[in-house]
Amino acid sequence: MLELRSVSKHFSGIPAVDDVSFSARPGEVTGYLGPNGSGKTTTMKMITGLIEMTSGHIFFQGKHIQDDLISYKRRMGYVPEEPYLYNHLSGVEYLTMVAQLRNLQARESSERIDGLLRSLALYDDRHASISGYSKGMRQKVLVAAALMHNPELVLLDEPFSGLDVGSALVLRSLIQELAARGKVVLFSSHELDTVERVCSRVVILHRGKLVADDSIANLRSLMALPTLEQIFSQLVVEQDTESMARQIADLIHA
Amino acid sequence: MRKLAELLPLQFRVLYRQFLLRVVDLEALSVHADIPRFLGQFASVLIFVSVIGAIGPIMSHEALTAAPEAALSFAWRGEQSLISGMMLVVGLTAVICWDSTFPDRRDVMVLSPLPVAPHMVLLAKVAASAALLGLAIVTLNFATGIAWPLLLGSQRDSNWGFFQSLAAYWFTMIAASVFLFCSVLTVQGFTALLLPRRLLLRLSAALQIAAFGLFLGVYFLQPSIPSLLEMAAPENHWFLAWSPSFWFFALFNQLNGSLPADLGWLASRAWIGLGIVVSGATASLLLCYLRTMKKTAEESDLVPGARGWHWTPRFGSALQTAIVLFSFRSMTRSRQHRLASAFYLALVFSIALSWLRSDQPGASPRPLTPEFLIPTFMMMSFAVFGLRGVFSLPISLTANWVWRLTQLHAPEEYIAATRRFLFYFAVIPVWLISALQSLSFTPRHQVAAHLAVLALVGWILAELSLLGFHKVPFTCSYLPGKVHVQVMIGVFLILALVVALSLAELEMRAFNDPLRYVCMIGVLGAATVGLWVLNRRRAKSAVLYFEELSPEAVTTLGLVWLPPSGSGTGPSVHSHN
Repeated sequence: MLELRSVSKHFSGIPAVDDVSFSARPGEVTGYLGPNGSGKTTTMKMITGLIEMTSGHIFFQGKHIQDDLISYKRRMGYVPEEPYLYNHLSGVEYLTMVAQLRNLQARESSERIDGLLRSLALYDDRHASISGYSKGMRQKVLVAAALMHNPELVLLDEPFSGLDVGSALVLRSLIQELAARGKVVLFSSHELDTVERVCSRVVILHRGKLVADDSIANLRSLMALPTLEQIFSQLVVEQDTESMARQIADLIHA
Repeated sequence: MRKLAELLPLQFRVLYRQFLLRVVDLEALSVHADIPRFLGQFASVLIFVSVIGAIGPIMSHEALTAAPEAALSFAWRGEQSLISGMMLVVGLTAVICWDSTFPDRRDVMVLSPLPVAPHMVLLAKVAASAALLGLAIVTLNFATGIAWPLLLGSQRDSNWGFFQSLAAYWFTMIAASVFLFCSVLTVQGFTALLLPRRLLLRLSAALQIAAFGLFLGVYFLQPSIPSLLEMAAPENHWFLAWSPSFWFFALFNQLNGSLPADLGWLASRAWIGLGIVVSGATASLLLCYLRTMKKTAEESDLVPGARGWHWTPRFGSALQTAIVLFSFRSMTRSRQHRLASAFYLALVFSIALSWLRSDQPGASPRPLTPEFLIPTFMMMSFAVFGLRGVFSLPISLTANWVWRLTQLHAPEEYIAATRRFLFYFAVIPVWLISALQSLSFTPRHQVAAHLAVLALVGWILAELSLLGFHKVPFTCSYLPGKVHVQVMIGVFLILALVVALSLAELEMRAFNDPLRYVCMIGVLGAATVGLWVLNRRRAKSAVLYFEELSPEAVTTLGLVWLPPSGSGTGPSVHSHN
């Protein structure tokens, strides 16, 4: 289980994540939602160990992640929000490098990489430079790099970004399959429809603070709202979206 | 000036400003490079070179008035050197702003949907490239452009001699620069027109590096021909006929009124060559803007990888293999790193080539002299420190997260992998080149002794370059524009030369005294082991870092507002810290 206790992160004194606590259990997909700038990616980066917390604790399988960060990193896979990759490498070179950095056996990793590239429809372009890859292709490379070592904890920050419909459907099923195999999956997305289909519970963040942490079914009954989109709007959308749209249209029409 | 600029169309002015900031190949420098500052450094280095070049004629004024033959030889050497230097600088400028005159994919995608005519883009790009070229010409001739015409004009009887020399000098320099720049544009333009875009993307980088090597190679290997007798010699005819810097040397003398009648054909070549390349560049640019802008938008940038065998060698453990391969690929595939490493490699190969040139083929083995030893030490230091310098330029800071996320090994293993890379790609190749060159020297035991010393020196240099280097090559941020390149290069060159001279002298003495040689090897061996142990010990407690600066850009003082107490008359602040 992944557990966050009173986690905070301040940038130049300004809180980006403020006293956030929640847990993600094995066998279920936990959705992590919030509007832009709410602190989702910052939380993800703290969970990966890429940035340090200002205060609080993160535990995985009952152990503080900082106690043995290397062992924790071995068991974790991460798909970042932005598909930042080394553009001068080809897809297969990048994945091979990640496998080597993770100390995977050459033959085993080579078979896994080939398999992942075939499944993600990247095999034909595996020797092409990443600089020429589309956003969706880069996203697939990131997914392959995050999963090739069979991690126990899977952190997905906007994994559907740029993916075509077919690949998105495959990834959606894959996320559910990973959870069904006992992995802890924390999944951040703006696509509420997908979150509603994939996740069993959701954590909603607004301005760095936790505003909801429950199963979708419970939230629906508690708030008496039929969809996750309406629950989300109720909790975090502050402006009247229709009047805002009218204002913009008026502005460009003037 | 401002009012004159306002007469130009607004679109042109906006585009020109944008292109001027992008005229330098951003990929060849750094995405976050400070371009105005880089241009300032570029100009200051050229002005410095120009001032040094102007000291020669000022100091040698009396030599010119002594004997006519010596004066002619001195003047011709100087003229040839200035013209080939100008062509080298323009060549390197063309390499640095490679492709910037042609429309790239970004221009096409951003500008095509806007109501901007292709000719406006073309004119703005040409103007931006011309501005950089003008900066190079003016700064490189800042002092020499006055000193040399003064010197040459003073040799003439006419009062107008100075003005004629001045006009001839500046016209020749501009013509030689335009010739070289337009030659590059012509080759690039017709390559873009003839080849499919996918192939062009692959070939462009290779062409850039080939041009870089060509300009440096020609500059270092081209001989000076300081007398009419040598110029007229039949064995030099072919060389002169195909050497543009000699065409422009002849053109200068033609304009200056000092060209011997026998060399008129060389000046004609300059005029003809200039006409051909200017027409070629104009035609290729026009065709590119008319045809390839559309083609660029239509074609994908996805370059298929080469088919066939994709075997990759192992370089030790998985981590070491990953770092060595990543470093090698970064160095060879990124334009920025390829150019930076090519600069140092060109210096290494220039030393090796000029050494080969001085070697007489078929001659009997020569005795070992300092002239053999010094270049080997120089090559080793250029290769090792050059590679170390290139390491400092990051390839993609945003992609570094993968190193942090997969940091499953002790820092010393990362540093050991970097050491391995330095050995494979600097120390061992230079040692092998030196070993091959040494085959023509005797006695063999002295050659072997020198190669042993060179191996230890290479190792020491590698360890020195790793002192405090607790990073993965090509991953740590650096601060572009903060490093005083001209100072660093100058200090390094002087230090390398001093060390090479001292080592060669010590070694020559040691060759005649076995005990001294054993002591020398002992000292070098001890230094090698000492540095290796020091680096290993430091690496054990090191923390790998990926940023030179703290990520927090704003520092807060942590001040809090306290309500005024009692009869307080104003606000009071209290620090948390």
